[in-house]
Amino acid sequence: MTTELITKETLANGRTYIHRTSAHCETGVTTALFRDKGLDISEPMIFGIGSGIFFGHLPFIKQTGLPISTFRSIPGLVFKKAAQRLGVKVFRKRFRNQQKGMDELRRVIRTGQIVAVTTNVYWLSFFPRRYRFNFSGHNFIVLYENENGFRISDPALLEYTVDCSTHDMERSRFARGPMEPRGLMYYPVYVNPNPDIRKACITGMQDSCKQMLGIPIPLFGVKGMRFVAKKIVKWPEKLGYVEACRQLAHILRLQEEMGTGGAGFRYIFAAFLQEAGELFGSKELNELSNEMTAIGDVWREFALVSSRIIKQRKSKSEETFEKAGGLMLICAGREEELFKNLRDVVGKLKA
Amino acid sequence: MKVNEVPQDDVFDYSQGIKKGNYALDDNGKYVMVPSKGWVVDEMINRMVCDEYRAKEEETRQAVLAGQKSPLAYYMELRQMTPEILGKTAGLAAFRVKRHLRPEIFARLKPSVLEAYAKALAITTEELISVPKNPRER
Repeated sequence: MTTELITKETLANGRTYIHRTSAHCETGVTTALFRDKGLDISEPMIFGIGSGIFFGHLPFIKQTGLPISTFRSIPGLVFKKAAQRLGVKVFRKRFRNQQKGMDELRRVIRTGQIVAVTTNVYWLSFFPRRYRFNFSGHNFIVLYENENGFRISDPALLEYTVDCSTHDMERSRFARGPMEPRGLMYYPVYVNPNPDIRKACITGMQDSCKQMLGIPIPLFGVKGMRFVAKKIVKWPEKLGYVEACRQLAHILRLQEEMGTGGAGFRYIFAAFLQEAGELFGSKELNELSNEMTAIGDVWREFALVSSRIIKQRKSKSEETFEKAGGLMLICAGREEELFKNLRDVVGKLKA
Repeated sequence: MKVNEVPQDDVFDYSQGIKKGNYALDDNGKYVMVPSKGWVVDEMINRMVCDEYRAKEEETRQAVLAGQKSPLAYYMELRQMTPEILGKTAGLAAFRVKRHLRPEIFARLKPSVLEAYAKALAITTEELISVPKNPRER
């Protein structure tokens, strides 16, 4: 197996691409795209600048018939915001015509430009079969064309580059259903080699605070967390024990399984705060990073408690839905405090 | 989370050499990227969802064999689709797809419609008109 683990690839125009593992698909892809253009930036930094951290409960969008609780902003937004704030010019296009979409992809990778595409996971056969769900929102990078189809780099899932057949690529890029990718492909056209990272960080942090505290709808941000926590406590009575476990498992899936780097992106954000603390030489940011880590640990505990509930769903366990909901309420309270503090700290920072 | 706390539960048949990136604190309190071999909690939740799909699929297969549903229903489940998604993929209205889930209506379908379905479901037309006799192995 070890001989197959290629992490360095030569592109069509002779340049070298280095594959690096990342925690999340979108930030990983964004980081790789920017690095390829000569901007050395870390994944947590992109996550922070793009204001990826979020919480939202979306009862009106269903996945496998269950409402989504998301721990991040809308797919695509992190890339967009990070590009905007770092002064990156971006090419981004969707296609109506499948053939045109494939032709354009081929044309661009032939010039040696790596391209990120959004795909439906179900149709990707290089994915482990247990991960293949009908979910259109996975991003990876296409490097070049070869005899098997395309050579791709999937930073969030694999430690090495793989081949993806043309059939898979067509099906997954043009899959229909919720959140249709419609052949979305994107790449940076121009990257500023010396962007104002301090300013971008401040904007990113301010935006994160707004997302978490300022949306006047009780489904989003800290309010959304409280909303879901209260719902969790009521589930066993309202839905019955088995159905309640199903819903709880769905939250856990979005928190842990969907490439979040653990604890629903909370650790990545803590890593970002730490890096920003170094950049600004700010002790306060470092303290906030420690607090975010602690909150991440509480999320982790929530996952553990919930998993115990689910495991013993046939014989009722000592762990209860009240405890799980309570842990989530603690997270909500502590995050509210954290983002309020962050808002104050950011106000004092100078770009 | 510390580096040594990153779960490394190598669960059989689940991770298949996949490593997920995790951010964790090293001994100096600095965040580093640590690839994880998977976590039992992840695995359990993933298995739950897989089992659910499989149970639904098997239920539909039995219903098709009993003549209550058309084979289309089985292949739709297999591809994790709903009538809405299948309709869009095959270029048909969702209400027509729902009608075609009834065996007596499915039996009278034109070859062109069958072809559209077969293409959308990535199977051959011969496969589409019947379901496997035995449950699918995984």
